[in-house]
Amino acid sequence: MARNEDTMADGESNPGTDERLITTDVTAGLDEGSAAATDSSRTMIEARNVDFYYDDVQALNDVSLSIPEGKVTAMIGPSGCGKSTFLRCINRMNDLIDIARFEGELRLRGKDVYDDDVDPVALRRRVGMVFQEPNPFPKSIYDNVAYGRRIQGMDENMDEAVEQALRRAALWDEVSDQLDKSGLDLSGGQQQRLCIARAIAVDPEVILMDEPASALDPIATSKIEDLIDELATEYTVVIVTHNMQQAARISDKTAVFLTGGELVEFGDTDRVFQDPDSDRVEDYITGKFG
Amino acid sequence: MATGTERQGTDGTAAFGGVSRLRGVVFQYVTFAASLFGILSLAVLLGYVFWDAFGLETAESAWYATMVVTVVLPVAGFLLYARRNPLAGRTALELAATATGGVLSGFALVVVLEVIAGSGLWFAYFLAVGVPLGALYLYGRRVEASWTGLAVLGVLVAGPVAGTVLLGPLSRIGGVLGGPGVYYLSVIAPTALVARHVVDGYLDGPNGNYVALATLVVPILAVPAVDTVAVLSRSVWLLFFPTLVVPFSIVAGRNLAAPGRRVGVVGPLAFALGVGLLAVVPDLLGITGPSPWFDWQYVTSAPSQTAEQAGLYPAIIGSIFMIVLVALLTLVLGVGAALYLEEYAPSSGPAGAVTQLIRINISNLAGVPSVVYGILGLAVFANTLQFGFGTVITAAFTLSLLILPIVIISAREAIRSVPDSLREASYGMGATRWQTIKNVIMPRAIPGILTGTILALGRAIGETAPLIMIGVATTKFSPPSGLFGKMTAMPMQVFTWSSYPSEAFQHGVVAAGVVTLLIVLLTMNSVAILLRNEFERGDY
Ligand SMILES: Nc1ncnc2c1ncn2[C@@H]1O[C@H](COP(=O)(O)OP(=O)(O)O)[C@@H](O)[C@H]1O
Ligand SMILES: [Mg+2]
Repeated sequence: MARNEDTMADGESNPGTDERLITTDVTAGLDEGSAAATDSSRTMIEARNVDFYYDDVQALNDVSLSIPEGKVTAMIGPSGCGKSTFLRCINRMNDLIDIARFEGELRLRGKDVYDDDVDPVALRRRVGMVFQEPNPFPKSIYDNVAYGRRIQGMDENMDEAVEQALRRAALWDEVSDQLDKSGLDLSGGQQQRLCIARAIAVDPEVILMDEPASALDPIATSKIEDLIDELATEYTVVIVTHNMQQAARISDKTAVFLTGGELVEFGDTDRVFQDPDSDRVEDYITGKFG
Repeated sequence: MATGTERQGTDGTAAFGGVSRLRGVVFQYVTFAASLFGILSLAVLLGYVFWDAFGLETAESAWYATMVVTVVLPVAGFLLYARRNPLAGRTALELAATATGGVLSGFALVVVLEVIAGSGLWFAYFLAVGVPLGALYLYGRRVEASWTGLAVLGVLVAGPVAGTVLLGPLSRIGGVLGGPGVYYLSVIAPTALVARHVVDGYLDGPNGNYVALATLVVPILAVPAVDTVAVLSRSVWLLFFPTLVVPFSIVAGRNLAAPGRRVGVVGPLAFALGVGLLAVVPDLLGITGPSPWFDWQYVTSAPSQTAEQAGLYPAIIGSIFMIVLVALLTLVLGVGAALYLEEYAPSSGPAGAVTQLIRINISNLAGVPSVVYGILGLAVFANTLQFGFGTVITAAFTLSLLILPIVIISAREAIRSVPDSLREASYGMGATRWQTIKNVIMPRAIPGILTGTILALGRAIGETAPLIMIGVATTKFSPPSGLFGKMTAMPMQVFTWSSYPSEAFQHGVVAAGVVTLLIVLLTMNSVAILLRNEFERGDY
């Protein structure tokens, strides 16, 4: 991604502007963030006319939506329709892909995250991510959870922070006496909750989840779903899933993407599932295709 | 394909199954025979070399009988016992490995610090690089400050420079302290800290503080005893103490403390006793033993026209000096280049094409004959940069160029094999590129990098062609005087001897040289393997 290449290369801040995204000192804006979390009607993320290309393949086509703060927003659609791509645009993970190109506006609390003065490293410290395959580091459970805080220099009260993150990820009771064990020795569901603990240990404002339960069995899945419910009280959660029942169960808002990277429906989950505007969405939801 | 068979048989499927099973079995035995052939020919070759190097020909059969009684039978008996009691076997293995590793790395340390660097030079760089690094490490463990990583990098760059600039005054401090003083401060004291950490952190049992105290006190208390042994200088004692005595004591102590393992001590003890008896008993009985070419005299004296007095000392030192430099240069340059190519270099667009070109060319360079690197070294390092003909530094740079492509390729493979999901996890947490490389990529890649580097260094230490091109002497009577001193290398010296007309040189001295080369190679590899295993445990 040519225009962001220089800001990508390091984590240093750019002097001269006052936006929180520009600095890696993420603690700067957190108080304001959590105070605002109570105001649920506020918009956290707003996308306007987002187009996205992998080389010359268009993966997102004129996507506009606004994700409310402190809610769970689900993205559903058949595979290959650009859900993951959109999610990864939010924390600029796509910057890591050489051939990727972004067009349009994507605002986090009003600030366009693709502005030249935004440091993607600082952005990702405020927008945590959980991936489809559980990907704990080959380190101890403790070190996994502590990772984000260590790299951000948040070294105070590490033990309490690790415990709290594991508790919030509903994993503490299972691992409290084996924090030195490798994160890879856990079961798949536990690994995914460890990854969630790792993401929330740094107190992000938004948590992005890309099909976090698709590699898990039904019991582990339901644990993750309960957890997402829990997390929504403190964080804005954006979750990609191809499981419509799951979206219906856990989300407040639902976005439906269809092939070609188009957003065809976005609104309150109940309405999208019961009374979709678009016939194509109705066909998709009722299982006629996709 | 088995379609023909299928058509022939009345029962198609059965015939098909039979044929492919037969082929599988044939293939299995062919591969087995191929491996066996390789292993056997190597074994015959090595047996031949060892037969010559240790002069086993002259030994009477009575000597072999003595050996069987004193060494082979006890060891075989113990091995049989160890089959039924694996715990004892493991103890014996641990003890034997610690002792062998301790002796070999003790020698390596003596050669590198005492012979090549000299205590003054070593102490100067220890003060400039070692002390700040140690201090940063200890400080970093205590407070977890985020700037320590950067500071370590700074010390690694600025330390050697400062050491070189202040070489005079710093090494004068070392001169005042004397060799033993220098080693006490720079080797024994850190060993005490490490021992305390290891004992407290990984072993339950003795208090680490006592172990550290013993590490500090015992070397001094033992000095009177050490002084009575002629070949053991105080400096050598202080260098063998941390490599051999401390680890061996810890391992032995641990094993003695565990009830089930205690019997295991019998094995190594019997072996040591047997070897001691084998050295004494045949003499008493008037039995002629072997007359080895490879002995203490051989590794400590200079080459000579008489086979009995010939030694490999200057070449051993030259080779080790050179290979240490090669290892440092290739690790730094090779890993750096590989990291750039894999993690930073653009992979698409016009710049990506350039990257691709560089990658392909590095692979091609790995196949270039070593003589060509010799010519390059001659032109660039010896002539243009004026490093001198046949000097240690010219040889080190030339051989580094030779193996750099191999190191880069294997390091790239290792870095690429780190799953992308881990990179994403790290970047997704808001880690910078450097933090990701340091915390996620390198820990996973280092074992692979070390494996490739071991192989490459093994190649470098056996090379002669490029050394001949850059004017390395075939025979030298003193070890290199320093970086810019003239050197010779083990394979060069051995090759020279092989063209001497005398039988004693062609068989005895050359074989002993090959054995020495093998031992140095094995030491080098075991150090690298130990390091690799340490990193593979990955608890940092
Ligand atoms: N790294 C990539 N390089 C090239 N094309 C990609 C890449 N990632 C995704 N795509 C393409 O972009 C489209 C959208 O993919 P994705 O966002 O992963 O879909 P979803 O998550 O909805 O299944 C697909 O056609 C896919 O092939
Ligand atoms: Mg996807």
